[in-house]
This record gives sequence, C-alpha cells and structure tokens, in this order.
Amino acid sequence: MIPQPLVRAEGLSVRYGARTALQDLSFEIPKGRVVGLLGHNGAGKTTLMKALVGLKTAQGRLQVLGMDPVRERVALLQSACYIPDVATLPRWARVHELIRLMSGLHPRFSAERARELLRRTSVGLDDKVSRLSKGMVAQAHLALVASIDARLMILDEPTLGLDVLSRKAFYEMLIDEWCDGERSVLVSTHQVEEIESLLSDVMMLNEGRLVLSISLEDLDRRFMALGHDPAVADRIAQAHPLLRYRGAAGATALFDGAPPPDIQALGQRVRPSLVDLFVALTRKPELDRRHF
Amino acid sequence: MTSSWDDGLPIYQQLADRLAAALLDGNPPEGSAMPSVRALASQFLLNPLTVSRALQALADAGLLENRRGLGLFVVPGARERLRASERERFLSTEWPRLRLRLKRLGIGAQHLSWEDSR
Repeated sequence: MIPQPLVRAEGLSVRYGARTALQDLSFEIPKGRVVGLLGHNGAGKTTLMKALVGLKTAQGRLQVLGMDPVRERVALLQSACYIPDVATLPRWARVHELIRLMSGLHPRFSAERARELLRRTSVGLDDKVSRLSKGMVAQAHLALVASIDARLMILDEPTLGLDVLSRKAFYEMLIDEWCDGERSVLVSTHQVEEIESLLSDVMMLNEGRLVLSISLEDLDRRFMALGHDPAVADRIAQAHPLLRYRGAAGATALFDGAPPPDIQALGQRVRPSLVDLFVALTRKPELDRRHF
Repeated sequence: MTSSWDDGLPIYQQLADRLAAALLDGNPPEGSAMPSVRALASQFLLNPLTVSRALQALADAGLLENRRGLGLFVVPGARERLRASERERFLSTEWPRLRLRLKRLGIGAQHLSWEDSR
C-alpha cells in the first residue's frame, strides 16, 4: 500500500476579491520531508500556509492529514502545527506559564518534552517573554510547538530578524528534535542558501503559481549547471540556458535538462544552487543586471 | 551556515567524501558502528535523507555493511580498499594536473621537501 501523503493539493486556487493569490496549485507532501517554500514577497507563500491550516478557504481539492482543513480544522490542529510570520508570545508571561497554558489548550502537548527541549537552549523556565532576545523567543516558540505530538509543522519565515547564531540554533532544534523520518515540515524563508542543506524538497511560487515542486534528489538529476570560460560564453548561450550567472566557479550557465555533449564539454559540471534556480524561474534573467 | 559545502558536487556526495576521509583515518575503526543518521544530520546540520544517501553511497562502495537491526558498520578491510581507490584516483586524475602545474612552475623533484613542515 502506498502511504498517504500528509498534504495533497489538486488545482488549488485562492482569490482575494478580484485578485488571484494562488492559481491552480497541485502538489503532495509525503511524510518525513523538509520542504522549503520559496517565493518573493507577495508570491502567495503565506496564503498557501493559511489554506493548509484552514484559515483561508480555497477552491480545488485539498487534504491535509486526510482532512478538509476548513471543515475539520479543530481535528486537524491536533496533529498539525503552524507558526505564522506574525506569531508572538505574550510578553507578560513567564515560560513556565506558557507551558501550563499549552498543557491546558492542546491535548497532544507534552509539558515534560517542552521542558526537556528548553533545557537545550538558554531560555529559563522563569524567564519573562519580554526579557528574552528575539532569537530566544523564536527558540521558545519552536520548543513549545515541537512538544506537540503532531505530524506536520508549518513555519512561515521562522527566522526573520534573527542573527546568524539564533538561526543556526533554531534549525538545529528543528533537525534534532522534529525530523524523525515520519513528520514533515513546510518552511518558508528568504534565506535560501542557509537552509538548502536542510531541505529534502523545494517548492517555488511565483505570482501565485507553483513554478517548481521537486525533491532535491531529482533536482540534482534534472538541472545541470556548467562552469565555463567566459571565452565560450557565446557558444553556451546558443544552447539556451535558463540562466547565466557568475557563481563560485566563475561564469556559469544553468540548464533544464542536460545540454548536448559538445556543449557539456565546454565547461565543468557544478551543483546548481537553489538561489540561482529560484532567480532563473521567478524573473526574467535578462532584466536582472546582476546576471550579465 | 552552509559555508562548509562547496558548489561542485551534490551535498550527499560531499558528505560521503568527508565520511570516507574519516574512515581512512580510522574513524570509526573497522568493525565498529557508524554514527546514526540522526546523529550525523545533527552534526552536519543536514537533512536526514541527504545523510542516508551519503551512507548508501558508502555502502554501495563496499565500505559499510548493514547488520540487521543494528545499523551500519565499517566493513573489515574498508581502509585498505579506500586507500587503494584514493591512490588510484590521485594517480589517474590529480597527479597529471599537479605534474602539469609543477612543470609550468619549473619545480623539479629536487625542490620538493618530504619532511613534514610541522
């Protein structure tokens, strides 16, 4: 039997009045994945996340953990958790009070586990939220949410405004304490390069459309980047790369699918980075002066 | 955060190379258990699936074996096998490039010291 994906969307669309925020999205998120959701501001990332937890009504078919997010929202939120980009913890509360609050609110929350996770951080149980740094608040929030025995976590820009050490600590906790091969995470961020190595899959949204939804394993196979000498740039350009850019290996051309062997022989194969692929698929490269 | 991975090879391949280099240094020793996927994912801050792919590549190369219920172990003879393939790789691909560079720079055997600089 093929295991049920945690999320299954078919022809998903969301409109705000006359404006289409999401158009005809079809994708699946199986268990045990870390899916990066990339998109420029206004591309529809937050709208998609809201639709997944039933905060936004969508047209089309959408099943999350086998449920209809709008009609079965209460049941869904027992096993799916969501930290929105505007999430805040009450500033007046102490951390141990938040644990007690969560124990009362959520049937699958484990106070013991929350205390255990918080021991890994510099957040103390008696600390007041208002006295914590931004990075500590984010970690406390993740610790609370990761203490829910859930199967899907949805994180909207969880590390926005955090310094590099706090971001690292946040992702360490996510990988160590959440990813167990069964549970999945959907995480949106603008810091693509930082989380690339954490991801198993990537979804790219551009103006409400899903322009790519692929596992990184397949991405390595499908896209080919060639580092090459600037002298052969014209011949490379004739093979119609998706994008030409200056990478770590110098002039680089990105192809969807392998170019002909004579073109491949002009350069050296390098790993296409998610950022470059994102740029290639979400804007017209000829309009971007940074890329030749 | 990702500065430890270059953009040459896929990340799983880079991790496999690093783990192989550690095996060559006897870490972990032959016959011992490899660290778990989760431990490696945590150590390198990598997706567990990427770690699994790297371990699978090492198993496919005959360096690790799966003992049912116990996980992956370093195969006896793995270091010798690795050393042989690394020597082969050096002699067939790295040495010709190095030789070319030495010739360009006019460096001969008499200019090279075999003493450890430390």
